[in-house]
Amino acid sequence: MSLIVKNISKKYGDKLVVDNLSFEMDGPGVYALLGTNGAGKTTSLRIILGMLAKNSGEVLWNGKPLDAVNVNVGYLAEERGLYPKYSLLDQLMYFARLKRVDKQTAMDRIKYWADRLDVNEYVFPSKGKGRKSPKSNKADQLSKGNQQKIQLMSALLSDPELLIIDEPFSGLDPLNTDLFKSIIREEINKEKYIIMSSHQMPTIEEFCSDITILDRGKVKIQGNLAEIKKSYGRVNLLVKCEQDIDSYISELDLQVLNKTPSEYYLRVRGEDQAMTFLTRLINDRITVIKFELREPSLHEIFVEKVGADHNEK
Amino acid sequence: MKNNLSGWKNVYSFTLNQVLKGKAYRISFFIMALLFLASLPVASMLLFNNTGNGDDTSPIKKVYVNNMTSLEISFEDVKSMSPFKHIMFETVKGDYNFLVNHVSEKERTSVILDISEENGAYILHLSMAKDGPVKDIHIQSLGDALSKSFTNRRMASLGIGSEQLSMIQTPVEYKTTMTDNAGAEVIEESTAISFSEYWFAYGVLFFVMMGTVLTGSQVATSIVTEKSNRVVEYLLTSVKPLALMLGKVLAMMTSTLIQMLSLVAALFASNMISSLYTADGGTLLSQLLPDDMFANINIINFIICVILVFMGLLFYAVLAAVAGATVSKLEELNEGLTLFTLSTLVGAYVGIGAIRTLMGSGMNAYVIFSLLFPLSSPFILPGAIQVGRASPLIICIAVVLLAAFIVLLFRFAARIYEVLFLHTGNTIKLKQLFKISKDSV
Repeated sequence: MSLIVKNISKKYGDKLVVDNLSFEMDGPGVYALLGTNGAGKTTSLRIILGMLAKNSGEVLWNGKPLDAVNVNVGYLAEERGLYPKYSLLDQLMYFARLKRVDKQTAMDRIKYWADRLDVNEYVFPSKGKGRKSPKSNKADQLSKGNQQKIQLMSALLSDPELLIIDEPFSGLDPLNTDLFKSIIREEINKEKYIIMSSHQMPTIEEFCSDITILDRGKVKIQGNLAEIKKSYGRVNLLVKCEQDIDSYISELDLQVLNKTPSEYYLRVRGEDQAMTFLTRLINDRITVIKFELREPSLHEIFVEKVGADHNEK
Repeated sequence: MKNNLSGWKNVYSFTLNQVLKGKAYRISFFIMALLFLASLPVASMLLFNNTGNGDDTSPIKKVYVNNMTSLEISFEDVKSMSPFKHIMFETVKGDYNFLVNHVSEKERTSVILDISEENGAYILHLSMAKDGPVKDIHIQSLGDALSKSFTNRRMASLGIGSEQLSMIQTPVEYKTTMTDNAGAEVIEESTAISFSEYWFAYGVLFFVMMGTVLTGSQVATSIVTEKSNRVVEYLLTSVKPLALMLGKVLAMMTSTLIQMLSLVAALFASNMISSLYTADGGTLLSQLLPDDMFANINIINFIICVILVFMGLLFYAVLAAVAGATVSKLEELNEGLTLFTLSTLVGAYVGIGAIRTLMGSGMNAYVIFSLLFPLSSPFILPGAIQVGRASPLIICIAVVLLAAFIVLLFRFAARIYEVLFLHTGNTIKLKQLFKISKDSV
């Protein structure tokens, strides 16, 4: 299986909101779409899903145009969407039936996911003292986090081949964030194709091998995350010493990115400069507690690439 | 096209199920059905029990007669009627004003009858105590009896018998006969409808309009709600917008048709029950309406009417669906529904005008136009069929025209729906709709 997004563009009036976006997934895994608010991530996802017409380009799944009605796609939108006044069980069943899941399988999967996501008490309330069997809760009776769990359930009920998740962790507490992460890991292990959009860079680094950073509809950086980082080199240096090292930093003309009372966060020109700096500290008997030379984080790359443009403008 | 409509059945069954389960639907349906069921029996009771059928005794005990004419009057024939046989008639003597006060304050079961003559006509004037036991209906009943007695007496004094009187009162009719060039008679039947038929057609029009407005507003509300709570984004990953619209429109139409047919059945049952309260055991409608009024109501005509109503609901529901998709918030729905409301009003008023024209001058070009015009035909045609004023040819042309309009509207909706469904922001105007449609061709 493969997903190819080829030169897709979208205009609203004269405004180009997605400009010639292309990427490929030739194997299972997680692809990340990053960008500032209004960068065109959600529009791109909607185009991939076939929900929104594009002005140009194509989206191919196994070499054929992707049609979400015919391909088993699961979608978790950024803005949650549930019927507030209908019972949870009714609407989950409806979403599953729309994906052509038969009733029995749908019910089995609802039970499985309700249990897995710990929302059994809302979807299948236990019998009380009264004679009447209790009705499934309505969406407006749930907290935001629990609504999000129901939403994730509806995305997974069809056991999708392609899963598109837009800001999956927004509004979740740490426990539920971990729960969602574990479910995403399970889906990765099941060799699913996942496209994820998020503002949480550590999460992207945790899951994604390939990324595209969008800014105002245009691609700023694209490719394998490890290679992108490698291309920057190990130029970020975190140093913690017992003594004051300001004079060494000035002497070697190192760029201070951030300084806290105990640590320096520096930018070096390369590994040689870092080694020179460390040798000087050791020779002068400075007590080095921490000396960490590493590649820039995704957050730093993002801020550098997108932030620079924004600052200029 | 098949792919575009795939999944509509799931949308249909879910939407219908949720509407039928809704408390608002159930309560309003129960109240309406109860009102329809009770309406005719209650009307029967009020009409036939209060007017009396000859056995109820009048609460009037005494009538003071102030005869200001030269006539010698006897009330024996009034006293021979069972409701009035206990009444005492007494000619006024003494102070009239004192008598008026006496009846108003003390003798409240008595009434005063003034008989006067003016310009050759006799006037009977009855006065009663305000808020006393004697009511308007009792006065009217006594007045009718006195008037009849008075007329009989006058006729008798002129030597006219009851048969002669009946002959005098028979209306004179005139008839115009036209002949063609060969001298053969040309028979031209009147196509005008009676007053009763007018009200019947008017009622059907109003009933269909209610259904149309109900369906339209339900469809539009449902679409805007799904847009505003973002459910539509999830739905569109499984079904195309057109399938979503079709499923929704048909579900809302089904719920409305269930209501409408149930109410017709309730009215039918109500009419049957009303026979328990009428004087001769007939149903209320058979008593109030002419015998030939329902001559055209049969199963075929009824089915044709149901099909027409269905098509009308479909046409207006698709219009409402497009209107609903042009807005993204519930509070903007009224603005978005302007086109739908205007179209409904135009259709209904053209229909009402045609019904009035039918009553006044029968079939003419305007009536035929309104029977064929797709905005008005769903409203007027069912009534016109039931009163026998729509020929099979007119029905066929109207159905074809309406079907063509529905297809055109569907194609238009299909072109713009995809854009409209995910539209958030200001209400889209008609001009923009045509632009979207043009751009998507």
